[in-house]
Amino acid sequence: MISIRLQTLFVKEVRRFLRVPGQTLLSPVVTTTLYFVVFGWALGARLRMVDGVPYGRFIVPGLVTLGVLSNAYLNSSSSLFVMKIQGTVVDLLVSPLTHAEVLAGFVGASVVRGLAVGLVTWGVAGLFGGFSVAHPALALLVLVLAAITFGALGFVTAIWASSFEQVNFIPTFIITPLTFLGGVFYSASMLPPALRGFTHANPIFYVVDVVRFGMLGVSDASPWVGGLLLACLACLAVGGAWLLLRSGYRLRG
Amino acid sequence: MEPVVEVRGLEKRYGRVAALAGVELDIRPGEIFGLLGPNGAGKTTLISIVAGLVRATAGEARVLGRDVVRDYAFTRRVVGLVPQEINFDPFFTVEEALRFQAGYFGVRLAEERLVELLAALELLDKRAAHTRGLSGGMKRRLLIAKALVHDPRVLFLDEPTAGVDVELRRGLWRYVRRLRDRGTTVVLTTHYLEEAEELADRIGVIDRGRLVLVEDTRALLRRHGAKTLRLALDRPLAAVPPALAALGARLEEGGAAVSVEVPAGEAFGPFLAAAAAAGVAVRDVETHRTTLEDVFVRLVRAGAAGAAPPGPRAGETP
Repeated sequence: MISIRLQTLFVKEVRRFLRVPGQTLLSPVVTTTLYFVVFGWALGARLRMVDGVPYGRFIVPGLVTLGVLSNAYLNSSSSLFVMKIQGTVVDLLVSPLTHAEVLAGFVGASVVRGLAVGLVTWGVAGLFGGFSVAHPALALLVLVLAAITFGALGFVTAIWASSFEQVNFIPTFIITPLTFLGGVFYSASMLPPALRGFTHANPIFYVVDVVRFGMLGVSDASPWVGGLLLACLACLAVGGAWLLLRSGYRLRG
Repeated sequence: MEPVVEVRGLEKRYGRVAALAGVELDIRPGEIFGLLGPNGAGKTTLISIVAGLVRATAGEARVLGRDVVRDYAFTRRVVGLVPQEINFDPFFTVEEALRFQAGYFGVRLAEERLVELLAALELLDKRAAHTRGLSGGMKRRLLIAKALVHDPRVLFLDEPTAGVDVELRRGLWRYVRRLRDRGTTVVLTTHYLEEAEELADRIGVIDRGRLVLVEDTRALLRRHGAKTLRLALDRPLAAVPPALAALGARLEEGGAAVSVEVPAGEAFGPFLAAAAAAGVAVRDVETHRTTLEDVFVRLVRAGAAGAAPPGPRAGETP
């Protein structure tokens, strides 16, 4: 039974990002199109096939993952941080919402935005590289876990941050580099051994890899490793966010 | 009569700074309680702890007998807080803001209740307006509507009329009295002593984290209050006539005026009779009554000088 309190927070958070669709849902269309023009066509013409898959199709799971991760993160981090700056976080803090409800409301809306952007990205990318989903349930489950992880990470960052610069630090210096170096545009098997080791130490590589297995049926590593790692990361991120919220750190004086 | 809010040994420290240092306070059901104090005295910290916004370092606060930390789900449902700083979410309309706020408290806002709140706070025609388009006064009224949306038993108003014009201030005062008359207990912090004097049934004075006095507003003014009568004279006097001197009168403006101060409950009749009998020719008459502001300044100065403030201690029933 989902409480009225949680339903309200979730609906409010979803409605918030739907109020600015150009910024939250349509901008990924432009970004994805650019990636395909630059990488898919320019590079794809030379590479043709990677792991037995046309290059234009090979990069789709990585781009979808990038869209899901970054938008899940941006939704919770920007919403909660702006509430802190505007003072509207008081509305939540004086209410009887439980810690779990607050976290579920923010992370749930992050998952919706992440998946919506992932769907838009997949739709645009499909026009260029073709549509295919080898294991739809697995692909969806993995993307939901990834959105939960990064939604919770965004929530933690918003609690901790005292400036927009700090909020933007994570996507600029962590999410985007690790995703780009996590095999979005290439297979780890194409790399020299030293760089391959570096890629295998990158947790986002496994996320991209297991999403690629779900969508294309091919992967560099075992999809079980990626799935298990992602489940652990989701538990860690949600657990950490709940503990931080419960502690009152930077929220309750 | 069981208190609605009980505060016991409440302390809040920010590093080495004690924002609250062992506050004891009872708020009675159905009263308007005015919490006065200079900037940084601890007023906002105190009500924020009771409302669940801030965690105390030590001590406890109870609302309707339930602890605000252990039973927060209960206490927050019966408490409303109007914060000092105006806040608004620019993404939403006035109606959405109220519906969301009700939802956070587990309440589906009925149409009649929504209309009643909007009408009471003169926001009915702004129902579909985006909050960013509201004037400062409207935003403050929206904050009050949000705090009332779940029909709380206790309403905390933190500096409710800071920066609002006189007309709006008077309107808010009328509304606060209506709430009290309907049974809502109201606790307000304010810098405007006139506001506390006008509204509050009882006054608490807080200074440097300590509640230095709690007393019935009228009794406080009676006990500390005085009134002054000043007679401007047609012909200056060289000395106070003995009959007037016996009543404590003194000369002012080089003998051009004579004045007397009496306790708030006493009459000026004997002084006026003595002045007439002494043949004092009066050109004009002025009176002045001690305001809460005079009392407040005296109390805070006494506290700053380390003297025991006069009157009943905090928590005592006068």
